[in-house]
Parts: sequence; C-alpha cells; structure tokens
Amino acid sequence: MPDLDALKAEAKRILIEGVVDIVIGFKAGDTPLHPQPAFFKTIDEVDQLAFDGLCQNNLATYLTRFPKTQKIGMLVRGCENRSVNALVFEGQHPREGLYLIGVPCEGIIDWRKIVAQTGEEVISVTEQSDNTILVEAKSGFFTLEKKTLLHESCARCIHPNPISADVVIGELLPEGDPALARAIVASFAELPLQERHAWFRQEAERCIRCYACREACPMCYCEECFVDHISPRWTESGTTPAGMQGWHIVRAFHQTGRCTSCGACERACPMDIKMTYLTEKLNDDMRRKYNFEVGLDATTPPPFSTVTLDDKSRFVV
Amino acid sequence: MSETPKLVLFQCQWCLFSPADQDWVDNQLSENIHLAKVPCTGRINPLYLLNAVQGGADGVMVSGCLPEQCHFKTGNIAARRQLEEFSDYLNHIGYEQDRIRFLWLDLQDRGIIQKELAAFEAQITALGPAHNLATRATETAGGANA
Repeated sequence: MPDLDALKAEAKRILIEGVVDIVIGFKAGDTPLHPQPAFFKTIDEVDQLAFDGLCQNNLATYLTRFPKTQKIGMLVRGCENRSVNALVFEGQHPREGLYLIGVPCEGIIDWRKIVAQTGEEVISVTEQSDNTILVEAKSGFFTLEKKTLLHESCARCIHPNPISADVVIGELLPEGDPALARAIVASFAELPLQERHAWFRQEAERCIRCYACREACPMCYCEECFVDHISPRWTESGTTPAGMQGWHIVRAFHQTGRCTSCGACERACPMDIKMTYLTEKLNDDMRRKYNFEVGLDATTPPPFSTVTLDDKSRFVV
Repeated sequence: MSETPKLVLFQCQWCLFSPADQDWVDNQLSENIHLAKVPCTGRINPLYLLNAVQGGADGVMVSGCLPEQCHFKTGNIAARRQLEEFSDYLNHIGYEQDRIRFLWLDLQDRGIIQKELAAFEAQITALGPAHNLATRATETAGGANA
C-alpha cells in the first residue's frame, strides 16, 4: 500500500510549483470496487486522491487525450511507466512535459474474484497491513488473501517498479520472474491445434464489439481504428463470427512490441473475454527473437519499427 | 478433396526477374489462384493476409526477394519480421501454419515459382478446405455488408 499522504503531498507540490497543469490519478468511484480515474487541476481536488489495489485502469491511456503542450503529472505503476515510455518513443507526448510520480505496485486486484466470493453487493473494501483485504458485503464480512485475488497479468508481472519515474514513493519491490509469463504462452502453445482454435473461437464469439478493450489500452490511440474504416472494410464491424475473430486477431497483433502486459484490456471487458493469451504470445516472441522488452527506455525502437540485416539468417533459402 | 483449393498469391513485382516467369504469373495462372501484385513485400500489411484468409482462401503464398536484393533496400526484411510473426500468431490461435507459405526468390532463379506454386497447391489440396477461421459473409448488392 502506497503512502497516500505522501502521494497527495507530492501531487499538491507539483501543482503549486507549476511543474504540471494537471495530475492524473484515481479517486473513489461510485462503488467501492471501482475507483475511477480522476484529473486534478487544483490542490483542493487533490484531497480526493485515492490509490489502492482496486485501481484497475492504466492511466497512460489518458496521456494521448491531452495536447502535447500540456504539462501532465501522473501516478505511474510499473506497467504504466513502461506504457508512458512507449508512448514517448512514439512521439505522443514529450517526456519534458511529464512528471511521473512512481508507485511500486503490488498488483491489481481483480474485482470479479472478490464478487465471486462475496456476492455482488459490496459495501466497503479495506486493505489491511497483513496482505489481506477486509470486504464488507451484504452477505457478511470476508477476510480475503490479497495474493489470491490478483489479476492474472499482475500475478505474472515482471516489472512492478516504475522504471523512469521522476520520484518514487514507497519501497521498491523485487522484480518478477519472466518464466511465469513464459509459462502461460508455453502451456497454451502445447495444446493441439484444434483445442487452441476452440478456445480462441469460444472467447472471440462472446464479443459484443463495445471496444472497451481498445479504449482501456494506452497503446490504442489511432484516430481512426482499422475496424472503423469503411473503405476498404478491413473486417466486418458487426458481431459476426468473422468480424469478432478479425477484431481480436488484429487488435492484439497491433500491440506487437508495444504491449506492456498491463492487462487493462481484459479488466475492461464486460464479457470477461480473455485476451492476454494473445498479447503474451506476441510479447514472448519479441523477447525471444529480438530480445526486446517494451518500455524499458524511451529510445529503443520496437522490432517492427526497425530492420537489420541480421535477420538474414532467418530467411529460408 | 475433389474441389480445387482457392489460393492467393501476393507477388512482389520485382522478385520475378525473368520476363518468362513474370509473363507466366501474369497470364497463365490457373483460375483458382488469385494474383495480388504488390510493389514490394514490405507493402503487404498483415491485414491483407487476414483479408485473404477471411475472404475464403485456403492458402496464401507470399513471394518476395532475398535479403540484400530488395529493390527498396530493406522492404523484404521488414515484411519478413511482420508476416512471419503474423503467421506464427495465427498458428497460435489455431490456424494451420502450412496454409501460409513464404517464397523468397533469388534474382537468378528461373522457373521456381511454377514448381513452388504446384507444390503448395498439392499441400493445400491434401489439407482440405480451411475451416478454422470464420469467413466473411458474401458481399450483398450495394456492398451493405455488416
């Protein structure tokens, strides 16, 4: 748990000193399970700042929605910091116009896992110091182990610490094990072709084409998405099998070498469609083939943005 | 399978250096092979492959130049990075990888494309029609499709 008072003090300081015009963080939402992103422009508003394991959005998403001239302060966890680095590399905001308040992240709690145990009507959620959370629901009080509630992509997180934040509040955490991220790709790849296809089809066919995954993703900032393109029509835009599959295939593929595995797409999905098995596969390939990990700095181009003759050896001659 | 498979050939316009081969591809391809000529393999967006697959192709072949022989210096290498990853990725979600084949031709090569296309067609015939990814609805009149 980050020190909330220190976060607020830092947010107020940068607003007062004019380092930034706006601070992007979280505040309490309509229900205790859903804190919502908040944009603080004055120091009075900063008092509403909230930050806990249930803050599930990737705040870097909002970076591209401000003019490049705006000076932005942002609370960043490990994945958000890497997303910001990737966006800075892609020229979406100058790094000088950003002030990143880093928070080492213990993982985001999947609210669906809480609801599965307590029922829909949750009154309050309190994080306790012994790595448990106390949930008060209509059906009673529950003390749940935080580790068991983490979202899958957070449970296998490799870089929980902000990498290039201007200030880090809280103690740095140990790095995660890359083998965990590798494991889910490998176990899926081992399945026979028809089972892999059955899984993909069953996930894709629940899609309602709301594009919440696109909106939640920091790297999906195209002014016109390929699915909205009318001529040529790249893929069907309705909930037809080809349209749903095409969307899921290309949405993930467009994140190759850009996805930071934050899992915001999956958490945003109202139909609980699994998507990280696609992006993890692509990330894993980038790691193995090109030794590339996105967002570790804001200067290394992703494999698809660069070419080298070293690739020669991979051509089948 | 009795039906002839539907194939799509994406051909880099520089990779067939011999006029005889190019003439054969331009004029004598059998009807089940749809030819899409591109200025360079680097011009092929992975969406084109998806479009071919979702448009009902049973197999897709991409023919381009070897490294260091690209008319645009590095188009083929850039294409290779993306397209290879895309076909690998389609395989991950259950599309047979054998249905996408890359053919990298030397400028000195003569008569290779005919043989490779025949071999590819035989391979796809053996695999049968592609089922694993849904195909688009047929275009209705006026193009009011989905």
